[in-house]
Amino acid sequence: MNRTRRVETMVELLRIVVAIAIAYAVALVTLFAVSEEPLYIIQQFILGPVSSVRRIGSIVNLAIPFTFTGLCFCFMYAVNKFNLSGEGIFMFAGCISTYVAINLGEGLPAPLMILVLLVVGALVGVVITMIPAWLDIKFNANIVVVSLMLNSMLVFLSTYVLRYKMRDASISSLGSLPLPDNASIPTIFGAFRIQAGLFFAVIAVALVAVLFFKTVFGYKMRVVGSNPLFAKASGINMAGTIVCAQLIGGALAGIGGTTEILANYDRYKWIASTQHGFDGLMVAVLARRNPLLVPVAALLLAYIRIGADVVNSKGDIPIDFITVIQGIIILMVAADEFMGRFKKKLIYKAAQENLAHEKKEEVVAPATEGKEE
Amino acid sequence: MFTLSWFASFGFSVLRLGTPLIFAGLAAVISKKAGMMNMALEGMMLCAALAGVIFAGFSGNVWVGLLGAVIVGCIVGWVIAFASLSGMTDLYLTCIAVNLAASGGTVFVMYVLTGEKSTTSAAIRAFTVPSINIPLIENIPLIGPMISGHNILTYLAFLSVFVVWMFLYRTRLGLRLRAVGENPDAAASVGINVKTVGYISFLISGILCGFGGAFMSMGWVSFFMKNMVNGRGYIGLSASNIADGNPVGSAIAAVFFGFCDATATTLKSQGGFPSEFIEMIPYGATIIALVVISSIRISRQRKIEKGTA
Repeated sequence: MNRTRRVETMVELLRIVVAIAIAYAVALVTLFAVSEEPLYIIQQFILGPVSSVRRIGSIVNLAIPFTFTGLCFCFMYAVNKFNLSGEGIFMFAGCISTYVAINLGEGLPAPLMILVLLVVGALVGVVITMIPAWLDIKFNANIVVVSLMLNSMLVFLSTYVLRYKMRDASISSLGSLPLPDNASIPTIFGAFRIQAGLFFAVIAVALVAVLFFKTVFGYKMRVVGSNPLFAKASGINMAGTIVCAQLIGGALAGIGGTTEILANYDRYKWIASTQHGFDGLMVAVLARRNPLLVPVAALLLAYIRIGADVVNSKGDIPIDFITVIQGIIILMVAADEFMGRFKKKLIYKAAQENLAHEKKEEVVAPATEGKEE
Repeated sequence: MFTLSWFASFGFSVLRLGTPLIFAGLAAVISKKAGMMNMALEGMMLCAALAGVIFAGFSGNVWVGLLGAVIVGCIVGWVIAFASLSGMTDLYLTCIAVNLAASGGTVFVMYVLTGEKSTTSAAIRAFTVPSINIPLIENIPLIGPMISGHNILTYLAFLSVFVVWMFLYRTRLGLRLRAVGENPDAAASVGINVKTVGYISFLISGILCGFGGAFMSMGWVSFFMKNMVNGRGYIGLSASNIADGNPVGSAIAAVFFGFCDATATTLKSQGGFPSEFIEMIPYGATIIALVVISSIRISRQRKIEKGTA
């Protein structure tokens, strides 16, 4: 790694830390202004999420769906297509896997059953992502608008399936029939009560990282996203790569939805959008579109969320204020100009040092010139 | 059921449902002509809707509320412009962040001010922008009850179509705005300040969204409700996309979506069909309209290419 790139990585990390620090400061000021007992609330907000093993467990549990949708958006970002259907897919995959699970019943052994359901979730993701991706490639229909409209439709479609196809009439609230026992993902690590979906998430991150950085397809994908003209000139199948990347992303979002339902719920009862898709978008941004950083970003977001949850239950502040904090973080991390001058200065300095260094080497051993390339 | 008065009331509700969509569509047109895609209409309208209720409720004057809504719409527009033009953030991302912040932030502000978490209907005195009857026209059968007696903001929406068209095609600033949208570098080379024009476009967007939001909370109903804009900003965006940034075309598209919405409402009251599918109609219609228009545009493009080749 050369020095410039090292500086860039360092500044990137620093930027994220500073952005989060500023957002936290805003949160604290707001809490101070609004709450009647600000110190207690702030203490709950910062220390609450790590105050018990149960809560640490819930941070991890919440980070699992964030990881899946975050990975999904890494793919969308890689090919530079703002396909937002991950949001609707997450919900719809949960719905359809529940439907399949209820109809399959207790017949299959648990591991096989879960595998089947994950495949179902992934398929749902692929099919749904196909729509905006195809309409974009074929008709040049704006992918953002189509995927947003699709998300709204999926909410109603999920509610329809829930209400007319699998509603449990014996409970008063709107909910599906209970999921069969062989379809539930167990919890692990005793008191932490972390769901075993953690393994799926870890495997998914590893696979995606390999796909991104160690395969031809991953390379093509990144070239298509970062330099479409070059990709076209070098004969990469643009349309195919763009669509494939989105489909993989959609499949991941689908698996995320299935995992979430199987691990944390005993029946399907989402009637409004879960917002996990947009959270995934934020995770991908925080992770700077790097799949290896996605779990870190997911944990961070989950920590903030659980903090807000604790505050919500303990104090007088509604949980919604957290979305403002999230918005601030997204904006600052995404802003290229935020600390941009600082970064340029550092890079300039590093480059100068590099140049001076090279000059010295040139004087000492002009024969070895060119080896460094 | 298909009596004259039914048609009249159906037409009335088409125009009523179309009003916020027209405002959103025009706001999107301004951004589109300036070369940007403003996805944050949703958040802008939501903030404006809340601001309208609050300003009106606390000042006791509906016009102060309307002004407040417009000002807050502008402020949100300025935030987006500042982030994306001065801070160089990705515009899509900025807009999503703003929408996110608006959906929670409005609830938070509402809670802090009133102690309610879902609606202001009980806590803040309700104000609505008055409706007006047009003399003479109101006496015409069928057409009278359809286009008379609307909220002032509805008439303002249709007036705005004309004003926006005038602005874009008949003023110097409008010309500059379009020049920036067509080719920012060329515009900069002849001395247009691209950044300033970008800011102005977002402020105008903010004004229009301010009216749209105010209509939601002070015309449609008389209170603010959590997430009350409910995708209308996105539909307005699609309307401008379908018309390729033409103000008149996007107003027509907006009214068409209002028509879909009114149809859905009518069908729902009939019963017998799962309401979930009916609720999907406006969104599905958006996708279909977008695809149809885009494919027509593509085939026309191909014909042109063939013709010249």
